[in-house]
Amino acid sequence: MRPFEDYNPFVHLVYFVSCSAIVMFFLQPVTVVLSLLGALSLFFVRRRLAEGRSHLYSLALFLVMALLNPLFNHNGATVLLLINHNPITLEAVVYGIFAAAMLLAVLYWFRTFSQIMSSDKLLYLFGGVSPKLALILSMALRYVPLFAKQAKRVNDTQRAMGLYREENLIDNTRAGARVFSVMVTWGLENGIVTADSMSARGYGIGKRTQYTLYRFYRTDVLLLCTTLLLLSIVVVGGALGALDMQWYPTLRLPRTDALALVTYVAYALLSFLPTILEIGERARWNCLQSRI
Amino acid sequence: MELLTVKDLSFQYPDAIAPAVSDVSFSVARGEFVALCGATGSGKSTLLRLLKRELSPRGERQGEIAFDGVPIDALDDRTAASGIGFVMQHPEQQIVTDKVWHELAFGLENLGVERGIIHRRVAEMASYFGIESWFDRSVSELSGGQKQLLNLASVMVMQPRLLLLDEPTAQLDPIAASNFINTLKKLNRELSLTIVIIEHRLEEIIPRCDRLLVLDGGRLIDADAPRAIAARLPADARLMRAMPTAVRLFRALHPHPDTAACCPLDEREGREFIESTYDNAIRSLPEVSAAASERAPVALEIDQAFFRYERTAPDVLRGLSLTVYQGESVCILGGNGSGKTTTLGLLCGLRHPYSGRVSVLGKPIKQYRGQSLYRGCVALLPQDVQTVFLCNTVREELKGTEQAQASLPYSLEHLYDRHPYDLSGGEQQLVALAKVLATEPEILLLDEPTKGLDAYAKLRMIDVIRALQSKGMTVVTVTHDVEFAAACADRCAMFFRGEITSIAPPRAFFSENSFYTTAASRITRGHFDGAVTVEDAVALCLQNKLREGAL
Repeated sequence: MRPFEDYNPFVHLVYFVSCSAIVMFFLQPVTVVLSLLGALSLFFVRRRLAEGRSHLYSLALFLVMALLNPLFNHNGATVLLLINHNPITLEAVVYGIFAAAMLLAVLYWFRTFSQIMSSDKLLYLFGGVSPKLALILSMALRYVPLFAKQAKRVNDTQRAMGLYREENLIDNTRAGARVFSVMVTWGLENGIVTADSMSARGYGIGKRTQYTLYRFYRTDVLLLCTTLLLLSIVVVGGALGALDMQWYPTLRLPRTDALALVTYVAYALLSFLPTILEIGERARWNCLQSRI
Repeated sequence: MELLTVKDLSFQYPDAIAPAVSDVSFSVARGEFVALCGATGSGKSTLLRLLKRELSPRGERQGEIAFDGVPIDALDDRTAASGIGFVMQHPEQQIVTDKVWHELAFGLENLGVERGIIHRRVAEMASYFGIESWFDRSVSELSGGQKQLLNLASVMVMQPRLLLLDEPTAQLDPIAASNFINTLKKLNRELSLTIVIIEHRLEEIIPRCDRLLVLDGGRLIDADAPRAIAARLPADARLMRAMPTAVRLFRALHPHPDTAACCPLDEREGREFIESTYDNAIRSLPEVSAAASERAPVALEIDQAFFRYERTAPDVLRGLSLTVYQGESVCILGGNGSGKTTTLGLLCGLRHPYSGRVSVLGKPIKQYRGQSLYRGCVALLPQDVQTVFLCNTVREELKGTEQAQASLPYSLEHLYDRHPYDLSGGEQQLVALAKVLATEPEILLLDEPTKGLDAYAKLRMIDVIRALQSKGMTVVTVTHDVEFAAACADRCAMFFRGEITSIAPPRAFFSENSFYTTAASRITRGHFDGAVTVEDAVALCLQNKLREGAL
């Protein structure tokens, strides 16, 4: 059992896409609640209470989204109150809450996804599609910060030479434009050296291969298969109508028959899979540690 | 067995009047370590690039170049790319990708080598070069020395048989440079790798190479073992200035070229030569009266400054105090990351200490409103002089500064129509300095002014700084170059962990240091006192008698 973060990036991609796609396609209370709980638990198991303030922003986003729907959407049979002759309906309020919760769930899935996906992993994934694209991205990842650093250096030097004469916006903008134009020259000039260095090492003489640091271990295959299995159960269940939901004109509760229950359990397992892996891996370490 | 043979090679750039390389013939045996030297513009780089097919400049070429018996134009692509490796001067710009491991694999990926084999070769190379501990890192986190080592390693994974290097250490500090040359020597000795290297600083390379090729005006004027060349080179040749201290010392005492003489090449041999040839009845030169600058008004003052780049980062400067008097030249020496460049940033108001005071010409730096600090007061010549240039020609760059140009100790008119980026390192330095001096500063701050310069350009830089100083300018220089500091400082300061550990006039400073000192001081230590430059040592030798039995 390995920490979730260490699995092959391809497994991560499949996992995060399935989790968020299901909740977006089958927007109904059970999937939304499961997905949100799964995403939050994974986030907090990994990060504890770090980045505390960002959660407040997410909460604010949730509230705004939930409030906006009933204000603009007047469908639904049960009118709660009238604002400026516009009805605010119960159905729109409930739908707003769940739609906002769905967005929140997707947001948290992608926050964890972006924490896990380092540039190396992203390039590995792109390399699978096109090795050329992966190389270009890798070069861009190197050049953008290099360019920014050099621009700052030029700026510092020019400031110490009095280029930015007065505290005057027009002069400063003009000076900034000159710095930018010289940076273009610098970029081209350095590009020549880099191009030389590339051709000196045989770039363009034939078909490239791609070297990566990631391999498919047994556990990667296992996790991938589990993900795909759970995904297909949910998709089949959904296709058979197990996740159908009626919001308007009147709310109807989600189904609770056997097929629906199986689908819920499958999605619950899928949502909590990484959390289970994380906790299991930690328990195992504690156990190993105590034996040492 | 010859690995590389060059026969009657001539080359002319399009639109050039004279050939850049003419009638050059030489060969390099397998496992040989060859250094190619000559002044700037002698055609070294052109010659080296002609040897690597992919980098061959456009122009008219005559003559033959054969790699392992095959003309290089007839080599297949894979052999041409992997059999001949090439490392260039700028560590940063040769790196293609964003991660160390990816850079190492880049060449092999291009050759279409299978993943498993790449894995093995990369692993092997990372272990050999000691890169394992930074294998996963981004290249932007590496130091200059590490970057250049990475460039070498990523060429070596392709298993070249011939390695060509174009001034690989010019942008490195002395410790990283020495480390790099030692790595090359190790590759040469352990793997019999054939190496052809261009170097400006011959101090490190001469004791380690097998043969020296001397180029002048595109012609090969000499090729022999370094000891023989050192002994027969005319004493006033331009190349002589680039020679190691021991050679210059020996040749200053034996000015006539003499092939039979056994010229010392490194400090140990230099010391043996001095001790066995001259006695030491007179141990030191008469004291120069202490500089009157102590009584001059204060130009710059840093009082117990603390500085860090981020709140959570460690201190870069810890309680630094430094006073510079008007008309004085102070050199700041010290290792990488000891806070030297940061100190210059403080002195020109680009950075501000979180505790402590900085004052310029007796006035706290915060009281300089707007840009008044940069008008006729302080000017900074940064380490990367390319950051000074904003225009397409030198003429535009220096427009409106004609008056300041007239008072410079050198002229730049012959460079007016060229692009600043196309100039040599030394010329760039002088143009940048001219532009910086156009603000007519009283205090000049220089950051590594000799980085990447050849010996001749370096001497000219020393003259320029001396001339500026004689006009009353205060000069503060940050440098790694101890020889330079010994030649042009009134006082030298040693930085360590963000503070000054010692500060003294160069003679006292370098004779009290035992490791961090000039080669001349290391050669004469114990025999003479306070000889820190070649001139000092020569003067002392001439005042003393020859030992009996010595030549």
